[in-house]
Amino acid sequence: MNAFLWVSSWLEGFGLEQVESIWILAPLGLIFIFLFIIVPSSMIVAYLDRKVTADFQARVGPNRAGPAGVFQSWADFFKLLQKDRNSEVSWSEELWLAIHTMALYSTVAVLPLGSLMLLVDTDMSVFLPFWAALVVALGTMLLGLSQKTVAGWYGGIRVATQAISGAFPALVAMICVGLRAGSFRWSGLVAIQGAAPLSWTAFSNPFQFIALIVFLVSGLVLLAIPPMDAALSSPDVSGGVAAHLSGRRLVLFKMGRFYSFYLWAVIASVLFLGGWKLPFEISENLLEQGKIQLLHFLELCCLMTKSLILILLVIWGARVNPRTRVDQITDFAWTVLSPFALFALIGASLVAGWGVLS
Amino acid sequence: MRRSVFSSVVSYAKDVIWGMRSIFKSCLTAIPYLSGKHDLTKEVTEQYPDPISSKTPDDLPPRSRGMLNNDIERCSGCRDCEAYCPVTCIRVEAEPATDETQIWVSIFDIDFSKCMFCGICTEVCAPGSLRHTRIYGGASPRLSDMVASFGRGPVTETQRAKWAERRKQIEDEKVRLI
Repeated sequence: MNAFLWVSSWLEGFGLEQVESIWILAPLGLIFIFLFIIVPSSMIVAYLDRKVTADFQARVGPNRAGPAGVFQSWADFFKLLQKDRNSEVSWSEELWLAIHTMALYSTVAVLPLGSLMLLVDTDMSVFLPFWAALVVALGTMLLGLSQKTVAGWYGGIRVATQAISGAFPALVAMICVGLRAGSFRWSGLVAIQGAAPLSWTAFSNPFQFIALIVFLVSGLVLLAIPPMDAALSSPDVSGGVAAHLSGRRLVLFKMGRFYSFYLWAVIASVLFLGGWKLPFEISENLLEQGKIQLLHFLELCCLMTKSLILILLVIWGARVNPRTRVDQITDFAWTVLSPFALFALIGASLVAGWGVLS
Repeated sequence: MRRSVFSSVVSYAKDVIWGMRSIFKSCLTAIPYLSGKHDLTKEVTEQYPDPISSKTPDDLPPRSRGMLNNDIERCSGCRDCEAYCPVTCIRVEAEPATDETQIWVSIFDIDFSKCMFCGICTEVCAPGSLRHTRIYGGASPRLSDMVASFGRGPVTETQRAKWAERRKQIEDEKVRLI
């Protein structure tokens, strides 16, 4: 298990001794990724989301906590932690919240964050976060059903409905990429791409570009992200599953929802947009010079920038378009996304076959 | 009306392209707001037909949801629209008749002050009598004017007597049921 050795290089940097035991390295790696990558990026995106939305609506947005309101996410976080729960929470609700959050964060282990920062890189890596997204939808549904409120029931069922309809096109779009790369390993998927945009999978042929669009939009459907969030919107079902949660539980739930959005953007960048590839052979030079930490950092910055831009583009589209009704979302996923995904799959297969034959 | 496969595919592709164009255009609309150089008085609304942009109801997209109209000749009085209406703005009273109307929809009231134009009632309407028109300007200073009545009116005594007589004839198998 050389996959965890990158953690020890960071531990040395903190003045700790060389740790060889995998049982210590694996949890440390997960905690490191969660605390230093996922939480800060979610804070940054939450702030950018609020500011950009405020700009679109000709408002000011957060401006009290810190300069230009940059600490607003922290202020919200600490305020919600102090809140008392507003109603009786049943044991089944606690259980489903805990279980589906655990299922969600288990995907931290398969998150591709750089050529060296790959914890699990197997032949089926690509599918693991995808199945985790389905498990999360099911967990959210059961959380809603255990709430004994109408908003929870309807919200939970709607989340599951959306996830089922969004899963098929997303799966087919994923297979399109695998066809081109000949592998479903993170490393294999990135190895065939280059740093320049024209050598990314998304722009290699028109079918892969269709697959990218289908993958992004079906991700919104699958994870109920705006503007496809009719299952969790406040005007529609008074917040759906989130209506009954408050305080720490709400923080846990919202953070999980944000993390799934972030996860989807990272996967889309890795599959279609060149992932962590650096230009000008920087990675080779740095490997020769043995500057592993710098290489980690640069690759991570590259990937995070692409993911952030992707997230901001989605937010942009979501804030200027109306929220979609839940039955229209499922209709859209089955009658528009799925045919286009299959069309992209046929095209990608033909291109791949042509490449093998000629 | 049944359409050919080819024309269905073409209209499907047109719909998809129209949707993508609409999303792209609305994204472009938001750009001036990012830099703060927007003009709040400038009209950016797309497709609302108004005299400023000199649009008429004919310029509306084919599936636009205007004021509701019920063709009472085709209405079966099944009350599905009443049951499905999320804001309970539809009120239906119907009773079976024995003349050629078969069912007498005495009251079919739609309260447009409550209606949110979600279109669910038109989707569940089995005989397809309830439809959205392209009429859109339905504002009125009085609440009572907002109720549109499509019903045939209350059943008169002579009608009821006629129906009872006919029903008796049908039961005695003197005449065939229409």
